[in-house]
Formats: sequence, C-alpha cells, structure tokens
Amino acid sequence: MGIAYTSLDTTKLSTAEVYAHTLCEIAQTDPRIVTLTADLAKSTKIGVFQEHFPERFVNLGIAEQNMFGIAAGMAACGLIPFTCTFAIFNSCRALDQVHTDICYQNLNVKMIASHAGTSFGQAGSTHHATEDIAIMRTMANLVVLVPADGQEAAAAVRAAIEHQGPVYIRINRGFDQVVYPQGIEDFQIGKANLLKDGSDLCFIACGSAVFSALQAARELEAEGIKARVLDMHSIKPLDKEAIKRAVHDTRRIITAEDHTVVGGLGGAVAEVIAESGMGCAFRRLGIQDTFSPIGYHEDLMSIHGIDTNGLITAAREALKMDFEEDDDWADEV
Amino acid sequence: MMDDAMYASQLFLYAVIPLMNEIGEQYGYFRGKSGVVQLSVNLPDGVEGLHFVLEDGAVTTVLGLHERPDVSLHFARQQHFNDFFLGKTKKMPKIQGFGKPGLLIATFRTLLKMASLLAAKTPPADEATKELVVRLYLYLLSRGISRLNRLGHPSVREWATKSPDRVYAWRVEGHPDTAAYLRVKAGKSKAARGLYTRSQPFFTMRFADLDSALSILLQTGDFLTLTAEKRLILEGAPEFGAKIGDFMQLVGSYIQG
Amino acid sequence: MQLSREKLITLENKAHELRRSIVDTVYHAGSGHLGGALSMIDAVTLLYYHRMNIDRANPDWPERDRFIMSKGHAGIGFVSVLADLGYLNREDLKTFNLTGSKLGIHLDATKVPGVDASTGSLGHGLSIALGMAIAAQMMGKEYITYCLLGDGECNEGAVWEAAMAIGSRRQSNLITMVDRNHAMLDGNTEDVMKLEPFQDKWTAFGFHTVTVNGHDFAAIDRAIGEALARRDQPSCIILDTVKGAGVDFAAGDYRWHYGAINEELSAKAYDSLERYHQERVAALEGA
Repeated sequence: MGIAYTSLDTTKLSTAEVYAHTLCEIAQTDPRIVTLTADLAKSTKIGVFQEHFPERFVNLGIAEQNMFGIAAGMAACGLIPFTCTFAIFNSCRALDQVHTDICYQNLNVKMIASHAGTSFGQAGSTHHATEDIAIMRTMANLVVLVPADGQEAAAAVRAAIEHQGPVYIRINRGFDQVVYPQGIEDFQIGKANLLKDGSDLCFIACGSAVFSALQAARELEAEGIKARVLDMHSIKPLDKEAIKRAVHDTRRIITAEDHTVVGGLGGAVAEVIAESGMGCAFRRLGIQDTFSPIGYHEDLMSIHGIDTNGLITAAREALKMDFEEDDDWADEV
Repeated sequence: MMDDAMYASQLFLYAVIPLMNEIGEQYGYFRGKSGVVQLSVNLPDGVEGLHFVLEDGAVTTVLGLHERPDVSLHFARQQHFNDFFLGKTKKMPKIQGFGKPGLLIATFRTLLKMASLLAAKTPPADEATKELVVRLYLYLLSRGISRLNRLGHPSVREWATKSPDRVYAWRVEGHPDTAAYLRVKAGKSKAARGLYTRSQPFFTMRFADLDSALSILLQTGDFLTLTAEKRLILEGAPEFGAKIGDFMQLVGSYIQG
Repeated sequence: MQLSREKLITLENKAHELRRSIVDTVYHAGSGHLGGALSMIDAVTLLYYHRMNIDRANPDWPERDRFIMSKGHAGIGFVSVLADLGYLNREDLKTFNLTGSKLGIHLDATKVPGVDASTGSLGHGLSIALGMAIAAQMMGKEYITYCLLGDGECNEGAVWEAAMAIGSRRQSNLITMVDRNHAMLDGNTEDVMKLEPFQDKWTAFGFHTVTVNGHDFAAIDRAIGEALARRDQPSCIILDTVKGAGVDFAAGDYRWHYGAINEELSAKAYDSLERYHQERVAALEGA
C-alpha cells in the first residue's frame, strides 16, 4: 500500500505545476513567451510548457551559462524568455551571465529558479540555494520574487510578464504546503501580503517559511498571542512601508526564510529597520551561516528552526513567555 | 525484540478491541445497559486487557484490568487470542458473565459485528455503514501506529524518535466524524479522534469521499492511481506520505495475518 | 558572386579610413586595445559595407542582421564603424573613456546605438548570438546573426557550451567568426594556453570550419557566401590575422594588445598605415 513514484509521476502530484500551466495559458495569446531549460524540464516542471509549445521551448542540455546568454539574446530581439533551472545554478554558476548579459542590459528575461533553499534536501549542498536571495538582490535592475506556494508562483509569473525588465522568481521543488488555496487576487510587485493581523509581534517571511509563520500565528492565537504575518514575496523591491508599520505596531519583528540569515530577507528587513531609526526586538530565522546537512526538506526546516515549531519558539522567546509541556501522551480510546 | 505474534496481540488489544465502543454506539447494542465488560489475554509477561464501563448505555473505554467485571472474555492462550481476532477460529474464550445475559449478548453481537465489518473485502452498501467502517479503520490505524511506537517497533520507533512535534492526519471530505490524527514528538506518540484544529497538521491524507477512503483501506485501489485522479490528496511531502502509508500497511499486516 | 576589383578597392579605402580612425580614437583616449581592433577591422568592414543587411537610418531596425562583437574589448575599433555609419557623432569618438562619456572600453548596448550586446566579459557573446538566431527561427525572421570572437577568448568554457549547442541545433542562421590573431594579453596564445589544433576543435563541435586570410576581403567574402548557402550545418570562419596589422611597430606584437599612443607614436602610426594602404591597393590593382 505504500507509495512508489518516479520523477515523471511527481509532475502529476506537485503544486509547482500551477505556474507552468499559467505560463501555458498566457502563451496561448502572447507569442513572445518562450522557455528554456538546462536539462531540467521534468524537475522544474517547465516540461508542461514543452508539451504544449514544443517549438517555443529550448533545452540547452547541462549548460547553464549558455542558457542565460541565449535568453539575453532572445530578449534583445523582443521575445520574453523564461529560463528554468535550479536556483543554485541560476545564482552561482551563471551569475556572470545574469549580471552582465541580463541585468546590465536590463533585458526582459524571467528566471524561474527552482529547488530553492534546502527544498532539494536529499541532494546536499551542491544543490541547495541558500545564498541566492542575498546575491540576487544586489543586482541592479533585477526584481526578486519569492512566492510562498504554487498559486503565488503563478501570480508572480503573471506579474513578471507585465513588468518590463529582468525578474528572478524563486520557487521550491513543488511540494509546498498551500498558503493560497483560492489563488491570489491582488499580487503586486513591491507589496507584501498581510495574511494575518496582530499587534504582539510580526513574522515577516518568504517562500516556504510563510506557511510556517501562518501556522505558528494560528497556534499562538490559541495561547492568546496575536502575531501579524507578512508574506514578503517581493524581496526587491521591498515593501518598506509594511515593514515600518509592523515595527511601529508590534515592536517585535521575526524574519524567516529558507536561506542564510546573512544578507537575505532578514538582511533586507534589517536595513530598513536600521535606517528607520525606530527601535524594536529583531530576530532573523533561517540558516545560521552554515552549509545544510542532508535530509528531507521538512526535516531540514525543522533543524534550521524555520518550521512552525521553530517560529513558535522564537515568538515565545521574543515575548519571554514560558508554556507548559503537553503532558498527556496517552492514545485516545 | 518482540515477535510478530506479540505485535499482533498488542494491536488487537489496543487498536482493534477498543473499536467495540464505536460499534456498540452505532448499533445501539449497549443501549440502556450498565456494567463492566472486559476482554483479556494471557501474554508471556502477564495478563493484559481492557474493559468497557457502561452506565445506562454510555460507554467509557479503560485500558487495563477491572477488579470485578460483570462480563469477562479471557483468552488463556495467546495463540487462541490471535487466531480469534484474525478470524481463524470461532472457538470462544473463557466466558464469565452468564449472570448478566443482556450484557453478554450485547458483547457478542458487538464482537461479531466488528468481525464482519473489518473482515469485509468489499465496501458496504449504505452510507452510514461506509462511514462507520472508515472511522473504524482510521482509529485502528492511528492507534496501531502509536502502539507500535510505544512497543518499540524498530522502524516506527526510529521515525518517531527523530520527529519534531508534528501531527499526521487522516480525513474524508464532508465526513468530519471519520477523522483521526496522530501526534508525534521526539519518540512520543498520541493517537486521537477527530480533526486537529489547533493548526494545520504537518501531513494530511485527505480522501475526496468515503468510497475513495474505502478503496485504500480495503486495499482495492492504490495510492498512485487515486492521487492522479485527485480522489486522494496528500497535503505534505510525498516522502512523509510514503512513510505513513508504509506504517498503515504494517499495522494491517499484523492484524490480518 | 565574386567581388569586383572596384568593390575590393572601395572596401580597402573604407578600411583605411577606419584604421586611421582607430589610431585617432586610441590617441584621444590615451590608450586602448589597439592590436585587436586593427586585426579585426578588415572583416568588420566587409560585413558592414558589403554583407550585412542594415538600415543606416535606423540602428534598431528589427529585421536587421545582428553583429555580436563577443571580443568586447575591441570596442575602440568598432566605434569607428558606428560613427562612420552615422549611429554616433564623429566628435563622440574623442570622448572615448572620458568620465561621463557613453563610450568606454566595453560598449554599452543600452547607451550606444548599433551595438547589439554589451560584451566585455569574454565568452558570453556566442550564447547571446545563438539566442538571437533562435529568436529569428521562432519568429520566422530572415536576419542573419554574425558573432566575432577573439582567439584567446576561446579559452572560456562558455564559448564551447554555445558551440556545442550551435552544432547540436545545426543553427545555420548564425555565422561564427574568430579573429585568430595568435596573441593575447600575457603572450602569444600558444604560449599561454594552446588552442591548436584550433580548426579541428570547431569541426569536432559540428561546424563546417575554414581558415582564411583575415585581411583578404575576397577570401573572407567567399567564406561568408558559402556559409550563408550552407543550411544544414553551422559555419565557423577562422580569420588568420595579424594583431595590430597596418601599424608596423605594433604588428604581430602581443604587447600591443593594449597600449598607449602619444603624439609621436600617432604620427608614426599614420605613416605606417599610409604605406600599408598603398601596398594593399597596389596588390588589388595588380591582381
């Protein structure tokens, strides 16, 4: 009765397919949309696009630098290319091409960077992308989006197409917990989504940590703690106003990201807080400047303290409250 | 290390027999009755059992032995106990309680009904029975996995030991009364009934309807097909779903022989 | 179709003007990548004044043939072409490298009309060119993309990623050219990082490869003509050139990869260019 599956099967099971279907939908009426991958069509789910529009899809084999250069050339000729590879290769291996060919020339390339953070946990650090938010937000002209689930990724894709200029969209491997079951009406680049209001503290999260924040806030509510949850999907441009409001309203900010605490969302929020001159309690949750061990994504998030329990613990510390251990471990009969 | 016979006995005791409570309530067998009904067995380390305390039809399940049960079914040999609940024998255990025939008969009826419901290879015809069977299985499986953890079954214990505080849930769309969940944290486990509402469970096995649930629980269908048809939705990573699926199968293998 | 003698002389006259302009630009900038600009200018002249389909009134004409100068540091040579075509003012050339100028060592495609890509980080241009060629295919357009690489540039792995893809895709609407002037910054190519057998490498990657005299307009033109006619295989034209060709004190010397020209050297350079030009015209007339 157990489950056995292949990478082909997972394309039927994953939430990452949503963005690929959205892309296909838009491509029906917009001939400028083309896609590229570096031998990762199945993993990044862009294979869905390939099935529908084979003549608008290019597979460059395992050659990421080449792929980004090609995307730049295509964009220079008026197409809207979507590149799809793992975030680690997008942000490290091909960074020169991203920086010089795409960002410097402000070309209309949309980069889908998948398997971000530790979401490809079993693959180890060669395939983890735990520095890419920090790296990408330093690129001038680049919009950096980190959607929280499949639906938000689809919204990000739409917004990216409407935006003139390069966009980096960071997604996971496709088995995200759902944050927006009904989709998103008003996704805007540069505007954080307020998922839950509250005044005791504020979680500012992106990507897979958003679900953790939402769940943590719900559990804390049962204990009488009202946490605000901001889905900061737009790392660049950052919603500075939302951050400043949160600082003013709650005085306790906890950032959470599947990324190093150095320079990513936490760093970006810290910059805003420091420049605002307002005081607050501040804590960055994420990977504490180490390479991650191997494991399933969910377990790694727990190890790095960015799962629901990790955020709850951090919140309690921020409020300096103790709670009793749950003592009743008998099975209900 | 426990042997398979012991795991089976433990599961019958603590995952299967407690279901009599649900069955008795559904069919009203215990209506108006009062007294204590106990089932017990001689195991290598001593006598183990559980009893139901009835007060005018209201049933409370209590693990452990009662001093003076009104009705007692005691299995002197573990093998007999296992065979009985595997459906391999209809030979009765040592029975006490002829002085309370009403209660005794209610107990037998409940046992027989349980046997027929759990042994069925095809789904029941009517909605109410379908719901009951799904509920029975989900309670059985959640308690079963938790019990295997307590017993130190190697694969279950290893998984539970490494687990941070997580809840694994089972539910059927539109039938909240069939839901069950399992909470696991650093080696501890707790099976519980109903929906976990405090926050979203770490993993949920969600069935689109009773028939979808039954096709998995009665093993007439398979995970992958049902998932592709969206009749089964795994909320959470497939690796964790596979683990739970394996444990469900493990419990099943002990109680089905 | 073979180039007529008149056409060849016209091209040589234009090339001579451009060489003078290159020396002039380097002089005004104070220093520059003289050697690599002079080695490539004959091929670039042939492309822009005979082969390429462009619109002098509109550098952004969508149907134009593309030219990616992957060896981006030769910008100091390329700007002379752009000024001559009218995409830049002649006066702009005098601001090359000066603070605030839109012209610097590596040309910025967003600032300089007629530049199809901001090259400079070696190894990127061929991929970008491939992207343009694929775009032409996808959009059903007829334009041809030309990409000129440096030979030292071919040390970069990214070049071979692009080459492999071009060969794999048989991308024949892209013509690859290499300015094989045998020298790079730190020395001659074969002393720093051996490229030979260079032609074999391109052939192995699926190109129909030829090596021609990079200062012979007719030979280069024949090679381009054949490349354009060949639709089932992409072509690579290796231009055997002399770094700093035309300026006798720089010719063949890797040290003139990048150098400074003062007034004295500039005068010497013009003299040398004049003699070089006369020799070449004589050869064309005599042929």
